[in-house]
Amino acid sequence: MKALKDEFLEILSNYQGILHKVNLVYFRNASDREDNFQEIIYQLWKSYPDLRNKDSIGSWIYAVSINTSISRLKKKTRIEYREELPEPVDTYDIEEEASRENDFRLLLQAIAGLNEIDKSIMLLYLEEKSYDEIAEILGISKSNVGVRINRAKELLKKTLNLTEHGN
Amino acid sequence: METNRLQNIWKNNETKIKLKTINELNQSLAARSRQTINNFLIFFAIDVFVCIGVIVFLIITALNRQGDILYQANNAVLSLVTLTSFVISLLSWIKLRNNKFNLPLKEWVEQRIRLLSKWLLGKYSKLYIVLIPILLVMINISIHVYYEYKPLIEVMKNEESVIGLIIGFIIGVFVSIFALNKIRKYQIKNLGNLKEIYARLCNDAI
Repeated sequence: MKALKDEFLEILSNYQGILHKVNLVYFRNASDREDNFQEIIYQLWKSYPDLRNKDSIGSWIYAVSINTSISRLKKKTRIEYREELPEPVDTYDIEEEASRENDFRLLLQAIAGLNEIDKSIMLLYLEEKSYDEIAEILGISKSNVGVRINRAKELLKKTLNLTEHGN
Repeated sequence: METNRLQNIWKNNETKIKLKTINELNQSLAARSRQTINNFLIFFAIDVFVCIGVIVFLIITALNRQGDILYQANNAVLSLVTLTSFVISLLSWIKLRNNKFNLPLKEWVEQRIRLLSKWLLGKYSKLYIVLIPILLVMINISIHVYYEYKPLIEVMKNEESVIGLIIGFIIGVFVSIFALNKIRKYQIKNLGNLKEIYARLCNDAI
């Protein structure tokens, strides 16, 4: 059991970026993200013994993280929309950093306007997953993925352009 | 804005994510597991406490009324129902907690819809409307008859006792149906949300 747990924690440590990114897309404040992070870890641990194909660990983590986040969103009656970005690790070029951070903030704001399915599709698209992988993680057809990505991209671009011109 | 610029903005901010150490991850897992165990223990303790309390009361009162067969039958049926409810509540809790999230989104939503639909709209989903009034009558009789120090038949002939039982019954039915409807409404809302997600996932033509 201890060996299994150590193996699980090792995998989790290598792939935890996925959990943080799913959290960024679905939850807007740090405390919600931390709660959801713990819930995802717990759900991953529960289903870890059923993981047969160790080659598809990434897909498994995406699937559990997205399902857990959507389930948690549905339980919450009110979601606080207070923007909180992760703390920067360094400030080597403050101006460039500020501009990047602003772009990222705008992108997150635009994603927040999408519905929960399109949020996960956009996240997987931004993570440069193939249509096949996205279709497998979400259990929908490749053509559906294509249609949704194009539509969500258009929406994001429109929102981002509007916000940029508005600023 | 170019499409791949979206991906670049996303990628550029990857380094800003503060990763946790293995020890911190272990602590998060331990904290969440402890929370689940504690929730289960609280639920289990309340369930056991209530069930044992009711059964002990029913056995003691039945033993004190050894000549009153109707009263004893009433208490025996109530004990059986209490035990059955105890087992069903534990099994339902375990089933709900064992829901696995390691499926593709569409399959997972489908599974949740099936589970909730079975509970909320299945063959026995409205059984509580019949069971609650019957059980309330039986519990009221069990308590009232015991403290009247008379056989069940005699108590039922007393006009004051019958009025008291009817009032107790009406209040009990109102409170329990109200509470159950609140829970059902919440779950039906959940089911509606899941169906909405499922419909969106199925709709290729959007």
